[in-house]
Amino acid sequence: MERVVTINLNGNSYQLEEPAYDALRSYMTRAEAALGANPDKAEIVRDLEQAIADKCSAHLSPGKSVVSATEMTRILEEMGPVEGEAEAGAQQQQSGAAPQHEPWRPARRLYRIYDNGAWTGVSAGMAAYAGIDVAWVRIFWIVSGLFTGGFTCLVYLVMIFAVPVASTSEELAAAHGAPFNAQEVIDRARREAGRFAETSSASWRREERRWRRSWRRQERNWDAGWAAGATQAAAAPAHSVGYVERMFAGLFAFVFSIITAALLIAFLIAFFSILSNGSVMGWVPPSDVPTWLVLVVLAIAYAAISSPFSALQRTSYATLSGRRTGGATDGLATLAIVVIVGVFAWTYSDEARAFIEQGYVVIRDFVTYWSSQG
Amino acid sequence: MPVADEQFAGLRKGLLEFAILTFVSGRTSAYVGDILEALAPTPFATQEGTLYPLLSKLRREEFVDYQWVESGQGPPRKYYQLTDKGSGRLGELVAYWRHLTSTLENLGR
Repeated sequence: MERVVTINLNGNSYQLEEPAYDALRSYMTRAEAALGANPDKAEIVRDLEQAIADKCSAHLSPGKSVVSATEMTRILEEMGPVEGEAEAGAQQQQSGAAPQHEPWRPARRLYRIYDNGAWTGVSAGMAAYAGIDVAWVRIFWIVSGLFTGGFTCLVYLVMIFAVPVASTSEELAAAHGAPFNAQEVIDRARREAGRFAETSSASWRREERRWRRSWRRQERNWDAGWAAGATQAAAAPAHSVGYVERMFAGLFAFVFSIITAALLIAFLIAFFSILSNGSVMGWVPPSDVPTWLVLVVLAIAYAAISSPFSALQRTSYATLSGRRTGGATDGLATLAIVVIVGVFAWTYSDEARAFIEQGYVVIRDFVTYWSSQG
Repeated sequence: MPVADEQFAGLRKGLLEFAILTFVSGRTSAYVGDILEALAPTPFATQEGTLYPLLSKLRREEFVDYQWVESGQGPPRKYYQLTDKGSGRLGELVAYWRHLTSTLENLGR
């Protein structure tokens, strides 16, 4: 499923798939930049738009009203790069060699990239950012994790939250610091085609796989969006939120997950302490208040304290994923943190182990009591 | 001649203006589609992205001019024709081209 964008090309309206629209917009931006201070810029842009509109019409019929991404790619390839007069010299034509002038490049940014069997995409993103092989980054994480006693594991964990996922082609380009515009893509395609002939097709296949995967991911996002509620149909796609906002949303999501998890752990500790010892950290509830009432009050207090934090957590995740209704991700993150903390406590602290065992005994006794009653 | 294509790109590029003026001079008026189609099988094959800026430059230099002509399908199109100044320029180019080729032939002797 693909969102459709309606555009106005020199007075005619056309419907394009979103990636087709992105490609066209990037082409026109590039064209305007190349034309620079050309006195006839506006007219040339209009001519180009008209030419693209004509080509779009050729791909449409009464039974087909939307121009697809592949069709747009073909159209823009037919159009060819727009050449400004300043750079209309011979140097432009050296398609095989690196361009002499510095081409426009997107700001290089750290993204997570799901590629080549990546689990969280952190390493792949770092490798793309640094321009090295992903294996080195993975080795770095493992070795540094061993030497710092797991501290870098924490950094890694934070990065999973704070580093946005590259989901659009532009974001992927930014992740690699590689150019994404019609001229450069065509140049690169030509170079790749040359290499394709002499070496193997592995890089192409990898590229294609990555594209396909990112499409699928986007599709899944959309499907989830639809499922989340028909009223949210027009919810903003993930990439409408800026990089910095997503980074902060990720950090907040992490912090609030920690807080809600800590509250849940505190609640569980208090709950089982009262059940087993009748006291919480040395505090004994008044004897005239029955235990069940203390537990109910405790549960209400927990709900009251934790609800604003979980609301903030939900908002952060929603900002992160670009959807209002973020599914169960936030709850699962909290549970995961609780389980991890539990496992660590069980492994490293005798007291915690004793406490957890005690909790187990309480539950077991309760279940035995319950079944003996029934 | 794909190999020659790569190497002589700069040469062709410089002569594209010459080629367009020559093509336009051969008929009363030419539409961009005609120009592209006519050049496609030649070494001067080009694309809209190159042609529109070049035509606009030629028009600014008053070598060509255009008229809007209603087309059967779609919006009106621009039809280009050579101006008097353009024919003068073409004459200069032809003369200079002859001078260049004869110079090159004589250099080898």
